[in-house]
Amino acid sequence: MKKHHFERWLQNIFETEDEEISCSECFDSISHFVEVELSGQNPIAKMPQVKQHLDQCPACREEYETLRDLGRLEDEGKMPSRDDLHDLIH
Amino acid sequence: MSNKRTNQEWLHDLNASGALQEAAVADLRDLLLRAALYFFSRNLGDFQGLNQDEIMQRAEDCAQDALIAVINHLSDFRGDSKFTTWAYKFAINIAMMTARRERWKGVSLDELASSEEKYFNEWMIRDKSDGVAPEQSAMQGEVQAILRDVIEYDLTEKQRRVLLMMVFNDVPMDEVVRHLDTNRNAVYKMLHDARRKIKSSLQARGFEIGETLSLFDASG
Repeated sequence: MKKHHFERWLQNIFETEDEEISCSECFDSISHFVEVELSGQNPIAKMPQVKQHLDQCPACREEYETLRDLGRLEDEGKMPSRDDLHDLIH
Repeated sequence: MSNKRTNQEWLHDLNASGALQEAAVADLRDLLLRAALYFFSRNLGDFQGLNQDEIMQRAEDCAQDALIAVINHLSDFRGDSKFTTWAYKFAINIAMMTARRERWKGVSLDELASSEEKYFNEWMIRDKSDGVAPEQSAMQGEVQAILRDVIEYDLTEKQRRVLLMMVFNDVPMDEVVRHLDTNRNAVYKMLHDARRKIKSSLQARGFEIGETLSLFDASG
């Protein structure tokens, strides 16, 4: 385990809560969380348990980051077309 | 434009019949395909050995599976986000599982599991920091001893296996889920319970977050 991974893991251990939401509960809320963030509000204040889960769960965090970035592109009218994406896949 | 529908229009059209529904389904499928491709484009390293057509086919399959998932969950949409944002999460979720399966398809997690002990012990030896003050080194050793004791003696066999696979061997969650024939919730719960036990043991010995992190941070 690399040193920064170990430090991150230690931090995760100390930030563990007795009650944490599940991956399914995170999935249920993640589009709302992203929507709040993209509207310029603070989703952490509204949904601290989702933020806590995202800090502990790499899989849900990666999905969140992809959804957020895709949502931002769509809001900006820059959603890549199928052809654009096809050209990126090689 | 397909993504210019309002939330209500999406729901109306998808629940309609005939040409209206067909057009909405086609538009939604196109958006889900782009969401899957977008995830793939950020994770091309997962597809080494596949050509463009094979990757596109994986994306098409993801889009189809995501379309079915979205249609099956339409009644769950609460309207607290754009419909497309809500729908994309299904495509991204399925795309991630597909990508990780491709990346790990040649790896035997059974073999990995049997070598977990070795990896863990090697890590404990390797991570001992040189060039730090004796007192700091002793405290680092104490923290590592606590971690080792909890992992070896306090965790259940499943908690221990999941922890060693994901934390010490960087196996993605979805591959652990597939290997154990379970679901993300169960794996997350095992990790959560493991973290709680380790945290409790560290705190019982007087270690808190700032002091413990600085013990290792200061060692460069």
